[in-house]
Amino acid sequence: MRFTIFIFIITIITACRKDIKLKMPDYKQLLVVEGVIEPNQPAYVFLSYSVPYFGEFDFETPEKAFVKGGFATVTDGVLVDTLKELDSSTGYFYLGSKVIGALGKTYTLSVKFNNKVFQSVTQILQPAKLDSLYFKGEQDSLGLIWQGFNEPSGSSDCYRWLAKRLTKDQFFAAPFNSVFDDKFVDGKEFKFAYDRGPQPNAIQEFRDDPERGYYKRGDTVVVKFCKIGKKEYDFWNTYYQNKASNSNPFSAPTNIKSTFGYQQEVLGAFVGYAPSFDTIIIKKK
Amino acid sequence: MSTKAGDENVKNTQMSSVQLDMNEIKKIPAFMGEVDILKTIQLMPGVKNAGDGNTGFYVRGGGPDQNLILLDEAPIYNASHLLGFFSVFNGDAIKNVNLIKGGMPAQYGGRLSSVLDIVSKDGNNQRYEVEGGIGLIASRITIQGPIIKNKCSFIVSARRTYIDVLAKPFIEKSDFKGTSYFFYDLNAKINYTLNDKNRFFLSTYYGKDKFSFTDNDNDFKTRIPWGNATACARWNHIFNPKLFSNLSLVFTDYQFSFSALQEDFEATIKSGITDYGFKYDVNYFPNSRHTIKTGIHSTYHTFIPTSVSAKQGETTFDLGKVIKLYSLESAVYISDDWDINQWFKLNIGLRAAYFIHKGPFNRYIKDNAGKVIDTISYTSKDIVSQYAGLEPRLAARFQLNRTSSLKTSFTRNFQYVHLASFSSVSLPTDVWMPCTEVIKPQIANQYAIGFFKNLKDNTYETSVEAYYKTMANQIEFKEGAQPSDNILDNPDNGFTFGKGWAYGVEVFVKKRTGKFTGWVGYTLSWAWRQFNDINYGLKFLAKYDRRHDASLVLTYDPNPQWNFGMVWVYGTGNRGTLPNGFFIIEGSLSNDYGLRNSYQFAAYHRMDLNMTFTPNRTKKLEKRKLRLTEEYKAQGKDTTTIQLSKKWCKHFSNSFTLSVFNVYNRYNPYFIYLTRRGDFANGTLKVGARQVTLFPILPSVTWNFKF
Repeated sequence: MRFTIFIFIITIITACRKDIKLKMPDYKQLLVVEGVIEPNQPAYVFLSYSVPYFGEFDFETPEKAFVKGGFATVTDGVLVDTLKELDSSTGYFYLGSKVIGALGKTYTLSVKFNNKVFQSVTQILQPAKLDSLYFKGEQDSLGLIWQGFNEPSGSSDCYRWLAKRLTKDQFFAAPFNSVFDDKFVDGKEFKFAYDRGPQPNAIQEFRDDPERGYYKRGDTVVVKFCKIGKKEYDFWNTYYQNKASNSNPFSAPTNIKSTFGYQQEVLGAFVGYAPSFDTIIIKKK
Repeated sequence: MSTKAGDENVKNTQMSSVQLDMNEIKKIPAFMGEVDILKTIQLMPGVKNAGDGNTGFYVRGGGPDQNLILLDEAPIYNASHLLGFFSVFNGDAIKNVNLIKGGMPAQYGGRLSSVLDIVSKDGNNQRYEVEGGIGLIASRITIQGPIIKNKCSFIVSARRTYIDVLAKPFIEKSDFKGTSYFFYDLNAKINYTLNDKNRFFLSTYYGKDKFSFTDNDNDFKTRIPWGNATACARWNHIFNPKLFSNLSLVFTDYQFSFSALQEDFEATIKSGITDYGFKYDVNYFPNSRHTIKTGIHSTYHTFIPTSVSAKQGETTFDLGKVIKLYSLESAVYISDDWDINQWFKLNIGLRAAYFIHKGPFNRYIKDNAGKVIDTISYTSKDIVSQYAGLEPRLAARFQLNRTSSLKTSFTRNFQYVHLASFSSVSLPTDVWMPCTEVIKPQIANQYAIGFFKNLKDNTYETSVEAYYKTMANQIEFKEGAQPSDNILDNPDNGFTFGKGWAYGVEVFVKKRTGKFTGWVGYTLSWAWRQFNDINYGLKFLAKYDRRHDASLVLTYDPNPQWNFGMVWVYGTGNRGTLPNGFFIIEGSLSNDYGLRNSYQFAAYHRMDLNMTFTPNRTKKLEKRKLRLTEEYKAQGKDTTTIQLSKKWCKHFSNSFTLSVFNVYNRYNPYFIYLTRRGDFANGTLKVGARQVTLFPILPSVTWNFKF
C-alpha cells in the first residue's frame, strides 16, 4: 500500500497537471443512513441523500441533502420505536425514545426509501477494556495517545477507537482507520496509537489546524474504545478504503459495504457500539 | 496480417498474426530513444495499450495476463520496467518478434488472447561484433562473436538506466530526498552447432528494477526490488529431411518484494512465481501437402501470492507461514497444416491440457463471521484440485485469386494462471494466482474471419478482420479486498468471478517496400464484463474497451545516411471509475463511485517523430585517405604505406537518432483526481477535477555504434 501511495504522490508532483471539467454520467441518488445504538441510550439515525459532484445540486444550500419527514424505526424484537426528527425544519437527525440499548441485545433498524423498506440488524456486544493509556510526545508539546491492549484470544473481534478532548471537542471523533480486527493480533498483548480525528463537519478547519492529528500537553482526553460486529467493521473498513482511494488510480475505487445489503438505493450502517471509556490527563511539562 | 516477405500473409492459413523484425522496429520513433518491442506491437490493430504509465497490453478485449509472452520459449510474467515505460526486451538482443492475436495454433496454449513469441539473436559465428547505444536515461552494449568459428557463437547484451544518478541532484533538494530508482537487464545466449543434425542453444535473461527510499529524519526506509529471470536450454535435432524435433528445458522466475522499516516496526511483503518447464515438439512433413506438428509441454509452477511478515520490537505479529501454491500444467497437442488443393488450405489442431493444484496446502473453513473453524490439510502427495480441457483449433484459407484470400478461424483456449490487480492501473504489485478449487480455469472461444489482399506485386498488403470472443471464469478482486486479506487465509477467497465478451473489426494497410514504408491500422471494438458481485451484477465496459483505435506509422529512407520515422496514434479514452457523487458520514465526505467504469477519459492521441543520421563511413574513409595521400606527397613520403588507424576500420558504423515524443504536446490523461476545499455542512464546499499527464513533449538523443 505504501508503495502505491508513494508512487501516487511522486506522480502527482512530477507529472503535468491541469484542471478539467468532468462530464459525468447521470447521477442516481442514494439514501444515506448512519444509525447508532449504544448501551443505556436510545437509537439515533442521520438520514441524508447523496449528492452529485458535478450536477444540479447547489453546494451553498447543503440542507437540501438532509431528509425531512423520513421514516425510521428501531426494534429489539419486542418494542418498536419510531424515531422522530429532532428539528422538523431541518430533518437529518432522528432520535428514538422507547427502545434503550443494552449489552448483548440485537436491534433492527428499518428505513423507507422509494416506497421500499430496507433493514439492517446489529448487536451490542460485550465491551473490551484497554490495559493502559499514555501520551507519547512527537514534536514539542504535541503527541499521540498510545494504549496497551491484551486482545482476548479465540474469538473474531473487531474494534473502533474514538476520543474527545474535554472542553475542546463537542463530539467523540474517530481518526482515519479507526477500526481494526484481531486477524493478526488474536490473543496478543500489543501497543497501538491513534492520532486525533476531526470533529464532524469541521474538516476544513481540521486541515488548516497546524496541530491537526495531535493531542497536546494539558489536554484531558476521554478514549471511547468500542467493540463492534464484523459486518459493522466491514462497513467502517471499506469507508476508510473509500476515503483513501479518493480517485487514486493506484488503489481500487472502493464502494462502501453497506450493512443494508448489496443494492443501489440505500447506503450506510446501523452500528451497535459496546464502549469502554478511559480518561487520560496529559500533564504539562 | 503478416509483415514477412512476399505474399505469405495471403497464402498461409494463419490469420491475426504480426511478424516484425528488429530492423523494422528500430526505424520507428521510440520513447526516450529506447527501442521497444511492446510499444511497437501496440501500434497494430487489435492490440491496445492502456495509456502511458501502464504495464501490459490488451489484445482483442482480453486482459494483460491473457498474453503469453515468450522470450526464447520462457514465459515472462512482467514484461515491463518502470511502470510500463520500458519493456524488458533490449532491442539489441532480439532477432525477431511474432505476435498471434487470433487463430492460435495448437502448439501454443495456457493463455486466452495472444502469444508474443520473441527470439533472441544467436550471436555472430564469423567475427566479433560490439554494438551499443548511449541515450539520455539508459545505455546498452552487446558483444557477440564466435567461440568456435562456424560452430559455436555467443551473444551478451546488457542495459542499465541511470535515472538514479541523473535525477539525484534534483531529488536531493526536493521533498523526495532519499528516493532512488534504476533498472538493469542482461541477455546472454550460446548457440552450438554440433553437426548438420544437432544444434544446441542456451539462453538466459536477468532483469531487475530497484526502488528505494530512505528518510533519515524520520528513521524510515523502504526497499522495493522486482524482476524476472529466465533460462532455456534447447536441442534441435533433425532425424531426416521430413522429421525434426525440439527439446527445451525452461526456467522462469518473477519476484516482487517490498520491505519497510520505521523505528522498531518492520514489515516485508513478497510475491512471486517460479516455473520449471519441459517441452518436446516434433515437426513432420510427410509430403508437400501436410505439415504435422505435435508435442508435449509440462510446467511446474510455484506461486507465492502474498507473503507478509511484520514485527514491532520484540513482538512478531502472527501473519502465518508463507503461502505457496504448487501446480503442474501439462498439455499435448497435434496439428496438421493441410494444403487440400490450390484454393483451400486447412490448419486443424487439438490441444489437450491438464492442470493439477497439488499440496502441501491448507484450506481454511470459516464461519459466517469469517473465523476459521476448521482446516483441511493436504500433503505434498495430495491433489487439491484438477482440471482438464480439450482445445480445438481450426483455421481455414480460401484462395480467391493470386493476390487475395478469405480466412476464418475458431480457437478454444484454457488459461490456468491469472493475474489480479488491486489498482486500476497495472503495477508490479499485481498478484499471479493459479487455478484452485475456488478459481476455475479461464476459457475463451474466439471466432474470426478475414479478407486478405496484396497489391502492386506485394508492395501493399491489406486485410480486414472481424472477431467475436467469449471469455468464461474471468477473475477480479472482490470490492473492498485488500492485499492483507491473503494473510492467514486462502488467497483465492478474495476473488470474484464473471464473464467477458469482446467483438470488433480490424483494418490494416501496409506498404512494405520502397523509400516510404509504413502502415495504417484501425480497430472498431467493444469489450464487456459481467460479474455478479461487482457493479450490482450489471454488465460493464472493460477498462480498456476502446471504440476507435487508429495508428499511422511511416518511415522514409531517402538515402543510406538519413532515416525519418513518424508514429501517430489515436484511441478512444479508457474507461474508469471516478467518484460521481458524495455523501456525508460522521460529518465527513465520502465518495460514491457509482457504476464500474462508467466514466470515459478523454481520447488518447500523440505523434512521435524521429530522425536518424548515419555518417557515410566509405566517404569519410576516402576523404581521410585522400588527405593523408596529399600530406604524404607534400612530405615526399611513399603513399603506398598509408594505413588508416584501427578506429577507421571498415566495420565501424555509428548513428545519431533524434526522437521527439509527443510532438504536439498533447496532455493525455493518466488519471484524474478530485480536489475539494471547504466544508459541505456550512455551504463552503468547492469541488474540482484535475487531470494528471505523464509525458509532455520529450525530445531525446541517442548515439548508437557498432564495430
